[in-house]
Amino acid sequence: MNNIYLRDIFRGIVTDNPTFRLVLGMCPVLAITTFMINGLGMGVATAAVLICSNVVISSLRRFIPEQVRIPCFIVIIASFVTIIEMLLKAFQPNLYEALGVFIPLIVVNCIILGRAEAFASKQPVLRSLFDGIGIGLGFTIALLIISTLREVIGSGTILAETAAVTQLFGPNFEPMRLFALPPGAFILLGLLLGGMNFIFKRLNVK
Amino acid sequence: MRNILRLALTLAVVGIVSGALLTAVHNWTAPIIAAREAEDYMKALREFFPALSDVKTEEAEGEKYDLIYDASGNLIGVVATAQQQGYGGLITFNLAVDSAGKIIGMRVISHAETPGIGDVVTTPDFQGQFIGKTFEDPIEIGTDVHTVSGATVSTSAMIGAVRRTLETIAYSYLSFEEEVIDITAVPDGTYRGTGRGAFDNITVEVTVEGGIITEIKVVAQSETPTYFAESYPLIPERIMAEQSLDIDTKTGATMSAEGIVAAVRDALQKALEGGDETGGETDE
Amino acid sequence: MEKLLSIIFIYILVDNFVLQRFFGICPFVGVSRKMETAVGMSMAVVFVMALATLATWLVYTYVLDPLGLHYLQIVAFILIIAALVQLVETVLRKISPTLYQGLGIFLPLITTNCAVLAVALLAVQEEFTLVEAVVFGIAAAIGFSLALLIMAGIRERLEFAKIPRPLQGTAITLITAGILSLAFMGFKGMLSL
Repeated sequence: MNNIYLRDIFRGIVTDNPTFRLVLGMCPVLAITTFMINGLGMGVATAAVLICSNVVISSLRRFIPEQVRIPCFIVIIASFVTIIEMLLKAFQPNLYEALGVFIPLIVVNCIILGRAEAFASKQPVLRSLFDGIGIGLGFTIALLIISTLREVIGSGTILAETAAVTQLFGPNFEPMRLFALPPGAFILLGLLLGGMNFIFKRLNVK
Repeated sequence: MRNILRLALTLAVVGIVSGALLTAVHNWTAPIIAAREAEDYMKALREFFPALSDVKTEEAEGEKYDLIYDASGNLIGVVATAQQQGYGGLITFNLAVDSAGKIIGMRVISHAETPGIGDVVTTPDFQGQFIGKTFEDPIEIGTDVHTVSGATVSTSAMIGAVRRTLETIAYSYLSFEEEVIDITAVPDGTYRGTGRGAFDNITVEVTVEGGIITEIKVVAQSETPTYFAESYPLIPERIMAEQSLDIDTKTGATMSAEGIVAAVRDALQKALEGGDETGGETDE
Repeated sequence: MEKLLSIIFIYILVDNFVLQRFFGICPFVGVSRKMETAVGMSMAVVFVMALATLATWLVYTYVLDPLGLHYLQIVAFILIIAALVQLVETVLRKISPTLYQGLGIFLPLITTNCAVLAVALLAVQEEFTLVEAVVFGIAAAIGFSLALLIMAGIRERLEFAKIPRPLQGTAITLITAGILSLAFMGFKGMLSL
């Protein structure tokens, strides 16, 4: 049984959740989460880059000398980000427009460089792959939770900007616009983090 | 030395492989992107004019005008891509006008208005007020179109922009003639006129001597002071320098500027029709 | 000149990089615990962002654009920033060891500060001239520093406040940032380019 790989995934989603536990990669979490579909898109894009770069860096870990490892990692990560950007522009133009400048900013998402440095450069390829999947999933789930909350409370819809958009509370409902705007993002994330801390303390998970 | 060589070589190899990979993906996706953008563009135009067969694009002052022709080569309409300063930034929109000068469609392409407040300019409710209007309609706030309370800046900006764009299309591309006022035929005197600014009417007093406008004074307006200062005294100066109403009204306060021009036009029209002279009347 | 003043006003207050655009959140949360560290980081960021905007603008305008290599923008920019930070660190260590002691630890962190890459990308996207771009870089950096310093001041006082355990640390910082962001929204609509 591939126990260790499943545990890697669980770790990425729960114990080492990049957003709620490690508090890394905050910028897109706050900026992109106005609508569910954007949160999902950003999560998938970041996960894709993370998985690809983890695998490549792990495969090359014996060939890259220590002194130049950071520039090498950067080039590898930046290349995958550029590829993702081009693919999005060609096949998902709406998402490309919505994510905007935050697509290139995936490069400096501390999660990716952090994982490369802490994990992929030291672990074999298969483990790095699953670590990438786990962390990527954790990030995407976190983004989904936050963007769903922000969209439901802040705009009163779910799945806006897609074909399945639904007005949850009827056309005359005035949502709490604050949560669709920057201040709401900060406050919501702060409250969520506080909540997570409380839950984890209670469950006594390290 | 060997060490540095190895470092440099590794870096170089990584760089070259990445570069090659990026170039490959770029060459694959670039034509797809270009084709799709062209296709989306034509689709958007076709939504306004299903009979579209050919398009000729003209650009003027940073705005784009797509002249739509049907299969027989007749001009069936114009789609303008124009921009207007809103509350949070530039609003880019399409205005579709048929060959009779009637607005048949409108779409906001991008904006930076506040979600839930200023973005009412993207709703069919707001845009629906313009559909069916021709350039002979006043398209004036309070007369035949309305702003939305709580989003006054965004909506009044859009109304002014629609009016301005419609006029440009009508006069520049649909060969409607703007009524030319012969200033030299205006009898000497001081005349009052009103025109619509950004929020309300602007009243001016125009003095004509010997067929030449010698003074333009704004006697009443309720524009935003910082914006109004951008068009006054600039616009009267331009009118007097060129002795024409066909001046460039693009300032930091285009609606105020056009309001002033409209007011001067109104005053001169009244003068030509034998209107009242208002020499030296005190304003309210 | 007018445009330059507008850029300065807008990117420090109206469109603050941290509080409205969400750039540079990681250092914003991480470095704002003490005023001292906040000041050190601010100075380093202003310096690096100004140089980064300059360097990336030049490379884009005179190398990438003419050769049609737009798709290499991300790789090129981030490498330039990383190299710049390395350079600044080395130079600083030689010229002023005391300054390096104070700022040194923050410099490597700036490479992953999304604000730096963001400002470089946006300067090109907004089609600024060279002077406008550098002013933009400095203004954005000052905006970042302003937010950071305000937050540091607040957090130093929060040390003495009774905050519920779960909310201590990052959570209360974010909520405070939310209130700051709300305050800064008062500048919205005042000015635009």
